[in-house]
Amino acid sequence: MLRRMLEARARPQGPLDRRDARSKLAALLVFLVVISTARYAFPATAAVMAILLAAACLWAKVPLAEALRRAAVVLPFTAFFAIVCWASGDAERAIALALKSYLSCLAVWLVVATTPMPALLRGFESFGAPRFLLMVAQFIYRYLFVIAEEARAMALAASARGSSARADFRILRFRAAGGALAVLFARSYQRADEIHRAMLARGFRGRMRSLDAPRFQLADAAFAAAASLIAVGARLAAERLV
Amino acid sequence: MHIPDGFLAPPVWATLDAVALPAVALAARRAQRGLEDARIPLLGVMGAFVFAAQMINFPVGVGTSGHLVGGALLACTLGPASATVVMAAILAIQALVLQDGGILALGANLLNMAVIGVLAGYLPYRLWGAGRLRKFAIFAGGALSVLASAVLALAELLLSGVRMAPSVLGLSLAVFLVSALLEGAITLAVLQALEAMRPGFVRRPAGGASLALGAVAVAAVLLSAVGVLFASTAPDGIERVLGVAVADASWLRKAGTGLVGLAVLFVMCTVFERFAAKRSA
Repeated sequence: MLRRMLEARARPQGPLDRRDARSKLAALLVFLVVISTARYAFPATAAVMAILLAAACLWAKVPLAEALRRAAVVLPFTAFFAIVCWASGDAERAIALALKSYLSCLAVWLVVATTPMPALLRGFESFGAPRFLLMVAQFIYRYLFVIAEEARAMALAASARGSSARADFRILRFRAAGGALAVLFARSYQRADEIHRAMLARGFRGRMRSLDAPRFQLADAAFAAAASLIAVGARLAAERLV
Repeated sequence: MHIPDGFLAPPVWATLDAVALPAVALAARRAQRGLEDARIPLLGVMGAFVFAAQMINFPVGVGTSGHLVGGALLACTLGPASATVVMAAILAIQALVLQDGGILALGANLLNMAVIGVLAGYLPYRLWGAGRLRKFAIFAGGALSVLASAVLALAELLLSGVRMAPSVLGLSLAVFLVSALLEGAITLAVLQALEAMRPGFVRRPAGGASLALGAVAVAAVLLSAVGVLFASTAPDGIERVLGVAVADASWLRKAGTGLVGLAVLFVMCTVFERFAAKRSA
């Protein structure tokens, strides 16, 4: 899970990386709505959208194979419901479910892979999300790796002490796992306290400052408009053709 | 269960987004009150804790293991408003970075897990957390939070037109029930260990409520969960009961009857609650 989070940023910069997060988010929302509201003849629309996304990946220098692989994380969930739908005689919807969820996932990945997390969260802030919530999200993202490393170390230490050797005492092991989580909780709590004091010492007044203020340039507006128009136009064309 | 994009019908996700986003904003404002900026690192690190907690497995049965979801645990330690904020931030990160749950469906996932999941998890604790039913209250909170979110997610999918055979529906409800009981047991184990370690971590609810009133409240939650599920599987049934035909468009009719059913349930529960409160006073 943690590796999946890190690999997003390890690649060369492309033209999409230079666009403002807000313009990418706006384009993403339009694209998702276009996919979500498409109703009939979905396979044809899906083919057009897939070609569009693949072209966007190549243009943005996002490795296509990796993007396709990453978007496949949605497939286990989708597969279950698609099979259930198919079994109850709604094959068309089953196919539409699989295609829609996969394409949406691919589009989200395209934006996430080309936008650093803080910029993405700032973009949400200008869309009206509460700043408090976004700062909490930023902290989670920052300390996720720290706490997860601690959890891993604890799990390793526990198995070195033979925690998995005897499976007979399920209740005891359950209790032990509960105790381990409680210790992790207490350590996280303490760490939060230390972090807060360190932040106060560095002049934190309830607001995070950033040196690179995001600027919404003409190119950003042009990108958002063009991407939205292409998405809407492609769907209309695909539906006209069928 | 994180719903990805592409599963929910446009009216369903639009409605849920419109409901969930203000609810989360309200929770953010409430959580911010009081300790102000000290809350930000605390909630952030506790969110990281919930993420990391999923790496510690709890042995369940033969070869299988479960992990903590966390809504009820956070509600009992940080309070419900803060727990909602933390869960909302976690869901947003999961949707963005891990593509676990959709962007348009974020409102649905927020409502299921961060708003209603947390509130359902806090309800038994609020009612009985101070008295001798404390252990049971914690257990019930964990179970109820998972059950409520799962049933809501299922109902939203059904409302959107995903068809499920009754046997599959029953099977998935059974799976949800097992994971709900597991969450209750894990929440209880962690909170007991925490209290033994340092009692200050776990919030004490203000005052105990009477057993009857609490039972009515929990029954109302269960009843409305079942009601939502019933409304979304069989909109025709409610339509017949109420004698309304909302519209010709099938999705509008489905969504409309679902909402009407919900409103009827709400009114019924409110009336019943008033009645019960008057009797107990």
